[in-house]
Amino acid sequence: MSDPFSINGGAAVAMVGKDCIAIACDTRLGSQSLGLANNFEKVFQMGKTTFLGLTGLATDVITLREDFRLKNNLYKLREEREMEPKTLANLVSTSLYERRFGPYFVSPIVAGLGKGGQPFICGFDLIGCIDFAKDFIVSGTASDQLYGTCESLYEPNLEPEDLFETISQALLNAVDRDALSGWGAVVYVVTKEKVVRRVLRTRQD
Amino acid sequence: MADCSFGITGKDFVLLASDQSAGRSIIKMKSDENKIRTLSPGLALAFGGEPGEFTSLGKRRLMGGTSNELAKRGGESDMIKRDTNNFVDYVERNLRLYQIRNNTELLPAPASAFIRKELANSIRSRSPYAVNLLLGGYDKVHSEAHLYSIDLYGTKAILPYAAQGLGIYVALSTMDKYWYPDITRDEAVELLKKCVAEVKLRLAYQFTFNAIVIDKEGVKNLPL
Amino acid sequence: MEALVQRLAPPPAHVDPDEYDLGADGEGNLNALGVVRGMQVPRVPDPAAFLSTYTNSMSQNPQAKIKLEHGTTTLAFRFRGGIIVSVDSRATAGSYIASGTVKKVIEINKYLLGTMAGGAADCQYWETYLGMRCRMHELRNKERISVAAASKLLANIVYEYKGQGLSMGTMICGWDKTGPAIFYVDSEGTRLKGDVFAVGSGATFAYGVLDQGYSWDLSDEDAQELGRRAIVAAGHRDAYSGNTNNLFHVREDGWEFLGNKDISELWYKYEQEKRDARVAAAAQPGSGEGAQGENPARPTTEVQSVPMEE
Repeated sequence: MSDPFSINGGAAVAMVGKDCIAIACDTRLGSQSLGLANNFEKVFQMGKTTFLGLTGLATDVITLREDFRLKNNLYKLREEREMEPKTLANLVSTSLYERRFGPYFVSPIVAGLGKGGQPFICGFDLIGCIDFAKDFIVSGTASDQLYGTCESLYEPNLEPEDLFETISQALLNAVDRDALSGWGAVVYVVTKEKVVRRVLRTRQD
Repeated sequence: MADCSFGITGKDFVLLASDQSAGRSIIKMKSDENKIRTLSPGLALAFGGEPGEFTSLGKRRLMGGTSNELAKRGGESDMIKRDTNNFVDYVERNLRLYQIRNNTELLPAPASAFIRKELANSIRSRSPYAVNLLLGGYDKVHSEAHLYSIDLYGTKAILPYAAQGLGIYVALSTMDKYWYPDITRDEAVELLKKCVAEVKLRLAYQFTFNAIVIDKEGVKNLPL
Repeated sequence: MEALVQRLAPPPAHVDPDEYDLGADGEGNLNALGVVRGMQVPRVPDPAAFLSTYTNSMSQNPQAKIKLEHGTTTLAFRFRGGIIVSVDSRATAGSYIASGTVKKVIEINKYLLGTMAGGAADCQYWETYLGMRCRMHELRNKERISVAAASKLLANIVYEYKGQGLSMGTMICGWDKTGPAIFYVDSEGTRLKGDVFAVGSGATFAYGVLDQGYSWDLSDEDAQELGRRAIVAAGHRDAYSGNTNNLFHVREDGWEFLGNKDISELWYKYEQEKRDARVAAAAQPGSGEGAQGENPARPTTEVQSVPMEE
């Protein structure tokens, strides 16, 4: 039970739609069986249409969130432009591999729209191996459940509103079968025109 | 040594309470030790350590096996529990240094980030601190009360009310039921008394408590 | 030939052959008198050690393949109007929620309830068996068994198996000649009589609400509400408790089932009531300066649109 990945609990998922992406997470922060906080978001906006999701050991989630915020801001200042999702993915990968022999215990996911508006999602293992996907990426203690819900609910080329419904149902039904995830959920649906953030009403037990 | 502390925020204040026991193993050597440290006029810390064996086990699991670097240094055997007081002294002196250098106090939010980062770095060091904290502060710039719960790994939670140590198990649900946003100071004190009563009723351990209140006037002792 | 058969035949199970009397007269592992006999034991030198390598019921062995149900919150308390028994309905295997519809109150008979914490199968089997023994007592003695005697029967049974991996923490609740009574019985052999008990991983959270709201003179409605509220508190904080709440009230004429309610829905209801109470308090004249005005309920979805620049 003191596997670092399942001390705090949490889940995140990203999906590709038609010219859009969605990324979602739960908001539980726990300490084993005890729920500590229900405001612990795990998806962070890195650019206008670029998002980073981090699940795993909460202290490392916070450390990496701050680390990538710093690197992202320095990139923006130096380059005077935003980081592409693909660039962020490579930054995450190399940053994680820097800790190859003493890793951060996290499973990051990246989702965003590229320069031309093309959807991009990917996931990583704890030392930075990138897992590119065309449909969806899952991470966290509910990842087994998320694979099940995503495999059965996902279909390609969904419009933003349908993608929101699909990712929300996938996440909610997955975390309802995981004792260590839930306690609130946040969904971002990203199109070229706008980013919509929605807070879901979830089970509180 | 078992610890127990509570934090409750209201609209313009934070209450911090902590037990006053200190000792080793099953012996209580002192029952009037102050385990709340005032860090600056608007900031205070209630602190407790983890029981020895439990921590070293948890950390060995966290670090061992996955980190070759640590294994090479013989990581497991020389994990030493450093004194919680030592960490709090370090934090206090560094915040004071910041104040002297910049002629301004660190607000609660950045102070919490500093403390968290120190613990997050410590957990991956040869001798990590085993300290759990409740950081309460009043942010004079934004006129807000802040409460942070930070554990030995450096996990920071921003909370309206919190418990640490043994109080987590019996009194968190009491707070869940009776706390509400913008709770008045009198009712927050009543809630604190309920928590203390619950701890005295349900825990085999005998605790005595002291408490403080932090608001725009600063830190004051709170008779319980 | 016979010598060969004897040599190859499996060794006998660890049971007394006289008592190993299954077949036409008995049922399952019960003999003709309905007494449990011949519980099969693995044929290894140390059955308890063998079991602990495969289940997590005796040890915290994380490698154990069979994860028996551990998380639970159950409570029972005695008050002027009888006994309230309130439980959750979640079963977990590791961190996986295996079921959200478990019946954790076992109806032993019309006057006796048993709660379930620890190993689900252990509780179900032995409390059902306890029901049989209680019925036998009734037939033999022409009067109902006392709660004290019933709980002692169970305590004696589990004590026989002490150290062999049984895992149960149960409250035997009922009404007898002496009035309402609750006994806590667990697989360590502890048997306690008392007024307020909570058992399971969420028990401490249940106590936190129960103790602060408990009084012997509670009205029936208030007592039932307190029982529900305490389980909701535990379901909220404890990851291994939740899903739904089952509530029972034991009175002189036997127990009554008061319904199954969703813990999450109850949690939202209690939060709303808390908000409503604040609004009402603020609206009252002379209730201080901090009137909060409207305090809207949490919407189903909060929509925040972030329009793009440029």
